[in-house]
Amino acid sequence: MINQDFIRQSAGLGNRRSRYRTLWRLIHTDPPLLVGITLLCCFGLFVLWSASDGDEAIVQRQSLTMLIGFVVMFIVAQFNVHLFRQWAPSIYAVGLGLLLVVLAVGVEANGARSWLDLPGLPSFQPSELMKFVVPMLMAWYLASRPLPPRFKHVFWAAIMIMVPAALIVVQNDTGTAIMVVMSGVFVVLLAGIRWRIVIMGFTALLLASPAWFLFLAQEHQKNRILTFFNPYRDPTGAGYNIIQSQIAIGSGGIYGKGYGEGAQSHLDFIPESNTDFILAVLAEEFGLLGVMFLIALYLFVLMRGCVIAFAATDMFSRLLAGSITLTFFFYVFVNMAMVSGLLPVIGLPLPLISRGGTSIVTLFIGFGLLMSIQTHKTANKI
Amino acid sequence: MNQKWQLKDHEAEKQLFNRRLIVAAVLIFMLFVALIAKLVNLQIYQYDYFSARSDGNRLHSQYVPPARGLIFDRNGQLLADNQPIFNLTVIKEQVADIDVTLEYLSTLIRLTTDDIDQFNNRMERNRVPFSSVPLRYVLTDEEKSKIAVNSHLLTGVAIEPQFVRHYPLADLTAHSVGYVSEINRDELNDLTDDQKENYGGTNHIGKTGIERTYEDLLHGIVGYELVEKNNMGQVMRRLDRTDPVAGKSLTLHMDGQLQIAAEAALGDFRGAVVAIDPATGGILAMVSKPGFDPNLFVTGISSKDYSVLVTDEINTPLFDRTTNPYPPGSTVKPFLGLGGLQHGLVDYEFAIEDPGYFRLPGVSYRWGDYTLRTAIGGGHGHTNLAKAIYQSCDTFFYDLGNRMGIDTIHNFMDQFGFGANFALDIRYARTGVLPSREWKRASRGEPWYPGDTINSSIGQGYMWATPLQLATAAAIVANKGKVVQPRMLKEVEGQEYVPLNEDPVPDVMVDDPDYWRYIEEAMTMVVHRPYSDQFRDYGTAFEAIAQADRDMPYKMAGKSGSAQVVGISQDVLQSTDIIVSDLNKDHGLFISFAPAQNPNIAPQIAVAVFVENGEHGSSVAGPIAKQVIDKYLIDILQLDFAAIDTNAEPLLAETTLSNVETSAGSSSSVDSGTSESQPYD
Repeated sequence: MINQDFIRQSAGLGNRRSRYRTLWRLIHTDPPLLVGITLLCCFGLFVLWSASDGDEAIVQRQSLTMLIGFVVMFIVAQFNVHLFRQWAPSIYAVGLGLLLVVLAVGVEANGARSWLDLPGLPSFQPSELMKFVVPMLMAWYLASRPLPPRFKHVFWAAIMIMVPAALIVVQNDTGTAIMVVMSGVFVVLLAGIRWRIVIMGFTALLLASPAWFLFLAQEHQKNRILTFFNPYRDPTGAGYNIIQSQIAIGSGGIYGKGYGEGAQSHLDFIPESNTDFILAVLAEEFGLLGVMFLIALYLFVLMRGCVIAFAATDMFSRLLAGSITLTFFFYVFVNMAMVSGLLPVIGLPLPLISRGGTSIVTLFIGFGLLMSIQTHKTANKI
Repeated sequence: MNQKWQLKDHEAEKQLFNRRLIVAAVLIFMLFVALIAKLVNLQIYQYDYFSARSDGNRLHSQYVPPARGLIFDRNGQLLADNQPIFNLTVIKEQVADIDVTLEYLSTLIRLTTDDIDQFNNRMERNRVPFSSVPLRYVLTDEEKSKIAVNSHLLTGVAIEPQFVRHYPLADLTAHSVGYVSEINRDELNDLTDDQKENYGGTNHIGKTGIERTYEDLLHGIVGYELVEKNNMGQVMRRLDRTDPVAGKSLTLHMDGQLQIAAEAALGDFRGAVVAIDPATGGILAMVSKPGFDPNLFVTGISSKDYSVLVTDEINTPLFDRTTNPYPPGSTVKPFLGLGGLQHGLVDYEFAIEDPGYFRLPGVSYRWGDYTLRTAIGGGHGHTNLAKAIYQSCDTFFYDLGNRMGIDTIHNFMDQFGFGANFALDIRYARTGVLPSREWKRASRGEPWYPGDTINSSIGQGYMWATPLQLATAAAIVANKGKVVQPRMLKEVEGQEYVPLNEDPVPDVMVDDPDYWRYIEEAMTMVVHRPYSDQFRDYGTAFEAIAQADRDMPYKMAGKSGSAQVVGISQDVLQSTDIIVSDLNKDHGLFISFAPAQNPNIAPQIAVAVFVENGEHGSSVAGPIAKQVIDKYLIDILQLDFAAIDTNAEPLLAETTLSNVETSAGSSSSVDSGTSESQPYD
């Protein structure tokens, strides 16, 4: 077994390009990923400026949040990914503990009782942390077991995913719970869970969904599903958002109406135009070409994530990198599909474009982990 | 071995992971392709549709209402203008809780349950979403500032300026000029589609009078404005505008000063005055008293104010007394007399010996003269046509009417506009009744009796006429038969208005033009024939008019009348507001024109006065007519009668009267009897 990285490194000694690479590795940063993220951030601020009607306060705040994100990413990347593997169970335990604390003394905002406002610390949502703590634990758990995982392991993994998810659901934050579950499920899928089990699970979900709709779903959830199938059943109520958003997208055409010229956006027909529905603003003002450009940027970041996962030297890193990348994709796709009417409305922001706070920092922690995986592997291997 | 096995396992696991990652990457691509397909569908294939929807969202064509045409009197005095008021309006879509907002508003400004009811009615009408609906009209300055100060608590509530109708003469023109008020559902349904479009921005429509008759001219043509609105319905930009065309300004024949004088002349009486210019038929004054304030109706009359107007059964301010019929009484005598001359039934010399009553051959019933009840006894003695007019002798006309027969009476009187509406632009005027055999059979299902003719001969029984009709008939006599149809509108935008008259009325033709002079002279005697040593040989209105004003510079032709009160409801009779006997008093009437008997100047004005429960035509209604004529001839036209020679025309009736004194003409049909009397004037 030959270490390919070692060979590549030796062959590249003295090469100017490779010296740069070493420099980047020294500060534990992956240049392609950094470029992709930076471009996305810039484009996001650019769109937000128009979507917020030129509100400087909003754009400044968003820039500041992104700056904090970059710093956090940089710090996270400095830690060897193996430390995360070793600490995964402890971090998980602390996360669960925080969720329990939230249950006791949590603060409510936007209908979800998910905020922790501890003295001396900025208020934050422990549930957000679980978005990378859960895949971390999954990767730790499955990487140290033979793959594909046996049914027994899948069962325990499911328990480990469901416990924090359940705690988050109790906080009345279903959106985050779904993301936490998905980030864990992605690890299980990448770990090679048998397709048979996947198909069985999927079928079970499909069969259970009518029962969920009839007995468990809340009124607003039912409305969202019904509205998805026919937005015009309540065009000024539940269907208003999606109808106005489709009008904005459709009227943008191929080339768009021009920056700052989106009538739907600037006359306030698009609800949540700064946050969940910001894609409608982009599609209206920059047209199909603008959306394609955004998709291209996302694809670039996603592909880089895949490459990092592909090139990772151990199973924990692979699973973690793959899960982070897929979770990122899940965000992007669900938001875009929901705004364009391909999926029912779920309250998820468009990553790095929508206005946000904690959720942006969480994304950057993910990117930091990717960079750590990419830049610490040689040291690990030898 | 173990190590190697594990390594091999590692490799397999890596392969497994890589396969899974490739599957994931492929899925990512496929899902993005699906997303792009959806976007292509929205942004390319459905672009036209969504583009139109987007424009439909933001672009709104809104109506710009035209300014309503102004109404002037003949001297350019405003009778109806448009004044700015400030209204409180509400955009329902922007108000979180309408009930809370209304409650809060009622603590700031006067807001009655009536206002709220009317507001709810307006809300129920078809309206564009996000359009503002008036809640209260005419805010005071204080109310405006209270709203402004608290505007942060009143989202969706705004103060909007608006031009609304204002009637400076208020009560004086309430019936004639009429008023505008909010369009109701029925009126909206009566509009054609084109008109509906034209009324898109209009809240008001003419309800009565001139405002209703000339609605088409006054309204104007609606303008349009293309605006961009945000999702709250606020106008962000104006993109295009088609200006409205203001309604046409109208000038009436009416003289505001004369209108004021006529109303004042009526004093405390309820009644009506109609004055017509005989040369044109133009209505110079048209007053129904009591009136009401038409300005109340413009912005929506409160139900309290309205109930005051409709429940007043004595004053009935909403009732237009100028265009509703009453028994004309003795005012019909000049026309009947003219018919007698024309049909050869009487001549200048023909006279009767009046015993104070009339009896049909073979009938014991006696139709009494009004003098029958007096202390000095009934009858006028030797009476020819002229005396029968200035003394208002009933017996003479019972006899004449009886000999004319109802058919002749109907056909002759018909030419003066009785039983018809001669007015060109007062469509709402009632026609009254000029009875005939056909009319009675159709409306009563009974044949015509000779007694009916007797009653009709003195303007009683079935005969009904409006003050407008009486003024018109007087104007025709003043014109010596030339018919001028009454009209309100004089000019449109300063241009002479020639009304469309599809059914012109022919002039009244008589065989000898002197008949007109004779009747005019007899009518002048009503006012000017003084007391003498002869028995009952003075004009009935002499004392109240010519004797009261010995310096009268002109001569005035007139005829008094009184009409029995009919059909007072028991409710009114039991009312304590007014002495019941007052309501049983006869109505007083007077028709006149002036200057009369002047060869150098034609009559300038014809007037009909109706005084409800005035009791006497000659002493109550007559002086009112005189005041109106004085105002017009002396103050308004400023005629200098000293410069106009008034004694050029030879007299007809005066000379024939002296002839009659000596001759002995009498009618055999005037009989004597002893049965009960019927007092008639």
